[in-house]
Amino acid sequence: MNRIVFMSKKTVELFILFFLILTVLFFLFRLAPGDPVTRMVDPMLTPEDAAHIIEQMGLDKPLITQYMIYVKNFFTGNLGFSFHYGEPVVQVIMARLPCTLLLFTTSTLLAALAGVFLGKISAWKKGSRLDGVLSISALVCHTLFVPWFALMMLWVLGFQVGWFPLGGIISPELWIEESSFLVKALDVLHHMLLPLLTLFIIHVGSYLLLMRSSMLSVLKEDYILTARAKGLTDRVIRNRHAAKNAALPVVTSVGLSLAFSINGGALTEQIFTWPGIGRELIFAVSNNDYPLAQGCFLLIAAVVLSANLIVDLLYAWLDPRIHY
Amino acid sequence: MPISALFRPHIVSKPRKTFNFRCGRTKVRIRSARGGYIQNGYHVNMSHNVGFINRFSSSWKIFIQNPLGKAGLIILALFALMAFASFWVHLLGPMYDPMTGVDPAVSHSVGPNTSHWLGTDFIGRDIFCQLMEGAKIAFIVGLASAFISIVIGTVVGMVSGYAGGIVDILLMRMADMVMVLPSLVILLIIAALFGQLNIWMIVFLIAILRWPAVARVIRSQTLSLKHRPFIEASRVAGASNMRIIFKHIMPNVLPLAFLYMTFRVTSAILVEASLSFLGFGDPGQISWGMMLQWVWSSGHMFQAPYWLLPPGICISLLTLSFYMVGRAMDEVLDPRLRKEGKE
Repeated sequence: MNRIVFMSKKTVELFILFFLILTVLFFLFRLAPGDPVTRMVDPMLTPEDAAHIIEQMGLDKPLITQYMIYVKNFFTGNLGFSFHYGEPVVQVIMARLPCTLLLFTTSTLLAALAGVFLGKISAWKKGSRLDGVLSISALVCHTLFVPWFALMMLWVLGFQVGWFPLGGIISPELWIEESSFLVKALDVLHHMLLPLLTLFIIHVGSYLLLMRSSMLSVLKEDYILTARAKGLTDRVIRNRHAAKNAALPVVTSVGLSLAFSINGGALTEQIFTWPGIGRELIFAVSNNDYPLAQGCFLLIAAVVLSANLIVDLLYAWLDPRIHY
Repeated sequence: MPISALFRPHIVSKPRKTFNFRCGRTKVRIRSARGGYIQNGYHVNMSHNVGFINRFSSSWKIFIQNPLGKAGLIILALFALMAFASFWVHLLGPMYDPMTGVDPAVSHSVGPNTSHWLGTDFIGRDIFCQLMEGAKIAFIVGLASAFISIVIGTVVGMVSGYAGGIVDILLMRMADMVMVLPSLVILLIIAALFGQLNIWMIVFLIAILRWPAVARVIRSQTLSLKHRPFIEASRVAGASNMRIIFKHIMPNVLPLAFLYMTFRVTSAILVEASLSFLGFGDPGQISWGMMLQWVWSSGHMFQAPYWLLPPGICISLLTLSFYMVGRAMDEVLDPRLRKEGKE
């Protein structure tokens, strides 16, 4: 019962937050210098079409009505038309979403798993040379400048060595040709490896450091001493008693570092021309495609918030000591 | 002496280390223990207000023993030197101006040579001079924005921890909200709406997006201080909430705030560099991110490693050194960690 209350509380909180973001964005669009009509209506449209969109968005009505229409439009999935693509924004973003999710979830999960594993070893062998090397390289990974690192990866592994393609998600000839699903999937994987590796290296460091410090504090607990006194083997103590408890804070940090990962993800997508949401946002902002920028922003906000919710719930489920 | 004076150490004008008085026929001399002083023969323990210099010098000894801290500080000093050198670059002649100086002899990007140590960019500007200018901007952005976010975060954290109740809930909810927002994406959307942002606007925006982590830490520290005797004593003595927060709690949370400042510097530099890299930085200021953007957008990234490497290495190294200094400070402030390191 408590758990249900906790979950619903979290969900409600999240909706309020999202609503706030929606509202702030609405007023930002109205506060910015210039006419809001030119922001939401493509200047290339014929007057009749423009009038139609103005009416649909209520841009000629008072601010409060506009806001109501804006909220209603949002929940009915009407985010306006992209200037550049001439398609509904929702359609454009929904086409990009799978690419982002694919790259993003894979890299975050892999980095978290590897970080937890390496952090465990590093803490266990504290003070050894291995620990020193791991901690220093984790620090370096953590403070790397993402775009530069991505460019270096592209230059060394893509251009000099030539193992990986220089960008995109699939080779154009495969896209047109009628080839089997497996061939296409392998090609996508081949294109994905370089951005995946980049994101992985960028994120693994922070997970490692976090796991290491969490593990070090767990190792001082009394129950570890008890486990030793019982005569359990090192492996059992390390993996079953210490690591399991130490991994909990890492779970929360996945949610908290998500904002950071989104920034890194957008930059990585931009450099590897990976057709995801982040790249679309940067494109929209550079080309003054306001409806598209707004849509991408809202989607990113929604993704961040729901991921945070998932992490909160996961944490509550993993740690039975949590009080709701 | 009224007993209440004991609880109001701030009314003392001149603290003394020793006090001599007579007790019957014997002369008694009281020496105050470290961290306190004698007032009218009473030992006033002000453990929250130990001599700052003393504390600093003993911390410094621990700090400088840490190889991470030492290395970080040395790299920082080198970059600071670079940043200061950029003020005198114009003395070399107009050709070396990082923004407008164009070498008439070169019409395209050339590699390192005697007149341009790191080569030039595609219109013949000296890369080394741009690098020095970039160091200055990185320091300005990093320190200024970290400072603002520390001020906001510390005040919010102290107020929230001290006040508790509904104020605490509201402020911390707000912090949670701001915390999950990806700063680069927000800056991008603001840049889209308001046009080119100038450098101070960027500094300010990064700061107001990055205070929550500080606020949380300061809040938990305040919570643990709140029920210490010296705080309760000053409350009994009638100090106002404002006075307690800024006079008694603040000195105790400041070291922690400074520690977090080093981490904020790191993230501010990275966000500003990313923003300039995407082409939304202040067009009037040369930053390392902007240099990378020029390499990339002019299509030189595979041809001009002498141009691609330096700005990226500088950004990574500078942020790394701030981070290392932060980690070393962490060990100074947290004795638990220090023991770990020495075991």
